[in-house]
Amino acid sequence: MSLAWISKLTLAAGLVALPATGWAQSVNISYLTHWSPETVALLEAAAKDFSKQNPDVAVTVRAVPFGDLLTTLRSQGGSSDGPTIGGIYDLWLPELARDKLVAPAPDAVAGEVKSAWPAGVVSAASVGGTLYGIPNEIDVYALNYNKELFKEAGIGAPPKTWAEFKDAAAKLTDKDKGQQGFGMINSWAAGVVHPFASLLVSNSGNLVKDGKPVLDSSQAGETFALYEDLIKSGASNPAMATADANTTGPFLDNFVSGKTGMIIMANWWESALKAGMGDKFANIATAPIPVGPSGDKPHSISYSWMTVVNAKAGEAEQKAAWEFLAWLNSPKSGKNGASAMSDILMSMGILPSRNSDIEAHKDKLGSEFLSGYVSVLADARPFPVVLGGQEFSESLQQTLEALQYGQVSAKDAQANAQADATSILERAAK
Amino acid sequence: MAKAFRASAGIMLAPAVTLIGVFVLLPMLLTVWLSFQDWSTQTPFSEASFVGLGNFREIFGPTSVGRDFKTALLNTTIYTALSVALILPLSVVFGLLVHQREVAGGTALRTVLFSTYMVPMIAVALVWSKLYSPSEGPFNQLLGLVGIGPQPWLSSPRSALISIVLLNVWQQVGYFTVLAIAGLTQIPGSLYEAATLDGANGREQFRFITLPLLRRTLLFSAVIAIINAVQVFEPVALITQGGPVGSTNVLTYHIRRVGIERAQGGLRSAMAVMLMVSLIVCVSALFAFVNRKDSE
Repeated sequence: MSLAWISKLTLAAGLVALPATGWAQSVNISYLTHWSPETVALLEAAAKDFSKQNPDVAVTVRAVPFGDLLTTLRSQGGSSDGPTIGGIYDLWLPELARDKLVAPAPDAVAGEVKSAWPAGVVSAASVGGTLYGIPNEIDVYALNYNKELFKEAGIGAPPKTWAEFKDAAAKLTDKDKGQQGFGMINSWAAGVVHPFASLLVSNSGNLVKDGKPVLDSSQAGETFALYEDLIKSGASNPAMATADANTTGPFLDNFVSGKTGMIIMANWWESALKAGMGDKFANIATAPIPVGPSGDKPHSISYSWMTVVNAKAGEAEQKAAWEFLAWLNSPKSGKNGASAMSDILMSMGILPSRNSDIEAHKDKLGSEFLSGYVSVLADARPFPVVLGGQEFSESLQQTLEALQYGQVSAKDAQANAQADATSILERAAK
Repeated sequence: MAKAFRASAGIMLAPAVTLIGVFVLLPMLLTVWLSFQDWSTQTPFSEASFVGLGNFREIFGPTSVGRDFKTALLNTTIYTALSVALILPLSVVFGLLVHQREVAGGTALRTVLFSTYMVPMIAVALVWSKLYSPSEGPFNQLLGLVGIGPQPWLSSPRSALISIVLLNVWQQVGYFTVLAIAGLTQIPGSLYEAATLDGANGREQFRFITLPLLRRTLLFSAVIAIINAVQVFEPVALITQGGPVGSTNVLTYHIRRVGIERAQGGLRSAMAVMLMVSLIVCVSALFAFVNRKDSE
């Protein structure tokens, strides 16, 4: 064979191999989240570190407001061009798994998660025993109160029972100053339902038991009545409770500006409080949820978030996505034995859920604000993760908002909530 | 000859008719078909199962699905009626002001009025949500200066929808003013001269010349204003998320929640069909009313 022919054949082989080589060397994956720009920058930095070790994988991060996250996942997740990775709230998982939008975790990832995370968190990331996501954050609710306002009102300690809670709310209310004792939240499903559910479980009640709603219990009746009392007495003002699509808005503004004495919120809003209050953040303290008349000890609601992989993404993208997530959540990726994911979460005041991360961040988790949350975690009840859970949550939100604005009585709110929940969960289970 | 004419007309019309058929009629027919099916938006059409009028019974039924839909339908109706009732008279008033040649600054006023229409809704929504802020909002601060206490605006189910209407009116009135000016320029000046000679005052000229001759323009404006109002989505999605207590939950936002967030494609289609039917009935009634007035 002449040199000319050898050259031609080599060139032809090179041209044929070029696209395949290029494809094999470059896998682009995308990560959809609802985090703020500052947190997205931390995730991008972690993704850059991963790409240094894995030059064939490029990770891009895209953020949408919380209110648009599920919609974006549903509308774009059904295609291979949709986000490869999505950060989701555990309540959405059963329906996303039923609709085959999220991929089951590979065996190696599932084995690692089952051995390194608490069993309750693993179960919230699983459907029918199959693990679908790598859990990252865990959120729990506690009572936040303004120490300065407590001092002004002559209240020595945070309320331990509902009687003390109502008394404190009344003392903290000053209509002339535009100050309310207890801040409720509206126009945001989790913001409305989770604090109510925390009070309910602290009164030995439940939202759902064995897959069926139990809002017709006497404990639930007492919780609806507590809300009605707080509204009727003027200790809680619904006009100060509105939230916007970014889960901020007047309810947050009123707490940071010292117009709200107490509020029930999750640990993740530490960064929002710090940003809004500056040095005055030191005035904020955390306490367990007050115990209701039928309750035995303080309980609250917890929920978790996880990262899932798009089931419609290509094989190479899915493989790269799981590798990236396994690295991001492993003790190798962060500082001092923590995962990079936990470092990102802790920057927002969010509790990580991996056992080794809790150990690695022990010092920071002992801060005055976060330690209050860590202390209630052991007795927290997971928010029920059931088919139709999001619709159930939105329906209960409507009922509670109607109660907040005095459109229904506590008794009617309880009856409506139970009837709606029964019909929603029955339809979803079909 | 007629046959050849029909054939060539058919050939010339075919591209447009095909495009309309594929991109307008087909999706409409598909939506109507899906409204009789139980179908998840995340599954293929082949998995849809026929449920007859089940979806329509549910959206008008007593459960939370029905209650939320009826509230959204009522909210959309109130929003549309208020928007049209405010936009049309304001556009005529502003149109008359700007149309007067002797008024100084008419062109500047026209530019200012139309500029609101050019601002993207995302910017309008973000700015107005701050203007309405109960604690630091400029609206409440201005009211405070004249001794009126702070208003809840978006924080109360009584005022939230009206607050969104005001935002819409502010943004849209400039566009409708331009339409009104276009209508006013079509009215011959000689009619006003004759009326002046006959001793008609300004109010009479407006009632017996301007308003009747603006009828066609106002009909067009009303139809466009209704369609725009029924399609309201951005301010609700960006500011209120349908709350509080569902008081700003309009149909387009609710359909998106049911169809995309909950993947209930059958229910979503039934709601979309009802929205389409309501719009057709409303616009047809408006045309019938104006045509009846014309024939009178």
